[in-house]
Amino acid sequence: MKLKTVLGVTVAATLALPVAAQERGGTLNFARYDGSRLIDPIYADRNPDIWMVGSLFDTLLRGSADGNSVDPGLAESYTVSEDGKTVTLTLRDGVQFADGSRLSGEDVVFSLDRARNPDLSPWAGLLGSINSVSADGNAITITLNDPDPTILSMLATFNTAIVSKAAFDAAVGETDQDKSAAIFAVTAAGVGSGPFYLCGFEQGASMDFCANENYWRIGADGEPLPYLDSVHFEIVPDDATRILRLQAGEVDAAEFIPFSRVAELESDPNINMQLYPSTRIIYSPINTRESRADGSPNPLADARVRQALNYGTNKDALIGVVLHGAGQPMSSPLMAKATQYAADLSPLYSYDLEKAKSLIAEAGVEPGTQVTLTTLAGSADDATIFAALQQMWGELGIELVVEQVDGATRGAKNRSGEFDIHTYGWVNDVNDPSQVVGWLGYTPTAKAVGTGWENAEFNKLFEEAANEMDPEARKAKFARMQELYADASPLLFMYETPFAVAVGKSVEGYVQTPLGNNIFDEATVSR
Amino acid sequence: MSSLSYIFKRLLLMIPTFFLVMVIIFMLVRLLPGDPAIAMAGDRASDADIQAIRERLGLTQPMLVQFWLFLSNTVQGDLGRSILMRTDVASVIADRLPITVFLAVYSVVLSLLIAGPLAFVAALNRGRWPDAVIRTVFQVGLSMPVFYIGLVLLTFLAAQLRLFPVGGYGDTFGERLYHLFLPSVTVALYTSAIIMRNLRSAIIEVLDAEYVQFARAKGLPPRLILGRHVLRNALISTVTLLGLSIGNLMSGTLVTETVFAVPGMGRLMLEAIFARDYPLIQGLTLTFALLVSLVFLMTDLFQSRLDPRMRLQ
Repeated sequence: MKLKTVLGVTVAATLALPVAAQERGGTLNFARYDGSRLIDPIYADRNPDIWMVGSLFDTLLRGSADGNSVDPGLAESYTVSEDGKTVTLTLRDGVQFADGSRLSGEDVVFSLDRARNPDLSPWAGLLGSINSVSADGNAITITLNDPDPTILSMLATFNTAIVSKAAFDAAVGETDQDKSAAIFAVTAAGVGSGPFYLCGFEQGASMDFCANENYWRIGADGEPLPYLDSVHFEIVPDDATRILRLQAGEVDAAEFIPFSRVAELESDPNINMQLYPSTRIIYSPINTRESRADGSPNPLADARVRQALNYGTNKDALIGVVLHGAGQPMSSPLMAKATQYAADLSPLYSYDLEKAKSLIAEAGVEPGTQVTLTTLAGSADDATIFAALQQMWGELGIELVVEQVDGATRGAKNRSGEFDIHTYGWVNDVNDPSQVVGWLGYTPTAKAVGTGWENAEFNKLFEEAANEMDPEARKAKFARMQELYADASPLLFMYETPFAVAVGKSVEGYVQTPLGNNIFDEATVSR
Repeated sequence: MSSLSYIFKRLLLMIPTFFLVMVIIFMLVRLLPGDPAIAMAGDRASDADIQAIRERLGLTQPMLVQFWLFLSNTVQGDLGRSILMRTDVASVIADRLPITVFLAVYSVVLSLLIAGPLAFVAALNRGRWPDAVIRTVFQVGLSMPVFYIGLVLLTFLAAQLRLFPVGGYGDTFGERLYHLFLPSVTVALYTSAIIMRNLRSAIIEVLDAEYVQFARAKGLPPRLILGRHVLRNALISTVTLLGLSIGNLMSGTLVTETVFAVPGMGRLMLEAIFARDYPLIQGLTLTFALLVSLVFLMTDLFQSRLDPRMRLQ
């Protein structure tokens, strides 16, 4: 009898071992700053949508941990042809959508055709090189019009995630948009193959992800991921309230912690204050047009004045007052340090008041010249930036005045050129520099982030880089673009910031990637 | 005039009011810089994309045509489709309305519970220390911004003492009472300060009135005097004030619902404005206007009950 008991205990202990080694189950409660509206890969156009796509869907390839290459995803292998114009991929066998239905080549063709349809997706331009997509069993063939060095990165990007054709065929609605809205209005187990599926949605209030029991990736214990049963999201727009909810134990994590609160939360014994490296850069476009929108001459049209403003800005001081030290000055003028091909030009316009003054004098700028900084109303960061710049540039004889607007107004002003300088930020969506460089410097598409700056050599290099398959040659082109851009200074180059997320001590394994994606695949919560 | 025909007449008068509200809100949202297409497509979209969205949303049509569509659809009960939420404005509002109405009613009830007894204590102790303490405390409450009071209450009562939840709004009636207590108290502190001051001076005035002195001289018990004569007469002006402060209270929900993360109409309004969601802003404004009009109507009806001298006309 005694022996039996001992034996029983031993057996139980042995059986329990793998379970104890890997925490499983439970719900992670997550407080967000803003809610998702439609987590459809091709319609996701705001960060709160984009950053959740990876939890519900899979891409053919996955970005590698360092962000500079790709790993297999839904496709277990891939090859690019010699001429760079054909990509062949082999689908992993037996992958299922969360409702148990099979994911096939047909779904891949449907998803990629949807993603590159400019009538549907705002992101179609990123897939402009694709000529056709076809499937034969598990073999997927993508033919390109021209060699495209970004194509593999694109196949690891949210907008090329695979959706179920059957789910769309069955959905109610006349247009693709209507069908998508109908699918995502409630629970959506049949549409994606990601680690979770949408199992609850109250627009603007809360959202639930439930574990996909058919997910193909395997966890540390040899069982399928994810470890969690579910993730419950609540939208708490107010920064202070979001933190209070975490401190009160009502949620397990709170994102977008203001940097002024980071130090305080770091000293809280119940909280892990995480600063995830990001590709987020904070900068301010400068209007480079000869005259302002009202017709008056624009002092900032002179590159020397823009350089002077950059030299006259003490980035370390800005990082101190705005980020409380949690950031670093931009080291490439066009992208965050973590981006592929980022040149290290640091110190990029290190603070040099004398140089700034002499450049201002050389350009003949009258003391007392007024420059307007357009900031976001209600943003504490922007208010601090303005106060600091006003003081710093006062030394140069520039009288900085503030104009406070909301996001939509700022966007409209950026488009129309009705600004001198305005605050702005960027996070890469793709693991490739072409997107951010196209946004900040290439004139034909976005007027060089609304600055009106135009440089023929830069534009030509950008166009050439788009078809350059040799990584070294491509890198050289990006290096030259960064040099040109740094010199012309169409921006006030400011700083890079991490993603600040506070998580309770019970949470392990949650990650926010440099692109901002919220990853719950390997997250656990112990109660 | 009977109350029914009075109510009917008042409802008819709402029509021109609503027409004006519609004209004003239609023009105001379009005077804001930026438009839904820009807000929707994001900063990165090309000018051609934005133009395409404008056309799809019908924003390229002449203003008068757009207004006519807004007017005729609204009359037929169709508030349009929310650009932000990608669904019918009416159903979005129907989801949020109960929460905001609950918050508003809860706040009014709490304001009365706070202000009523304290007004009596202050008035009956006029000039002595209880009066001074009550008035000072309320004066401080009145001069503090709503969001600040909210955060202070959250920090102490919820996060530290754990007496109340920081967020959420509950599913059952009981849970709602518990979850929405702090947001309601926050709003109520402000409204009760206004009501308390008014009620206190009204009571003092009535206490000095000759009919109260006569009642006292008659030897009526004080409780009867206070209940039948003083309270009823003092309430007349307070009810008007309460009705008027509902308007304030509604605009206060924009702040309270954001601080307390309550998904009601106030927070929705903020989101709608940031997204330049014209149909949703218009729909919400009309709903707020309808609520305020109904409250005013109820105030007037209640007043005529309190004071038969006020004829409904």
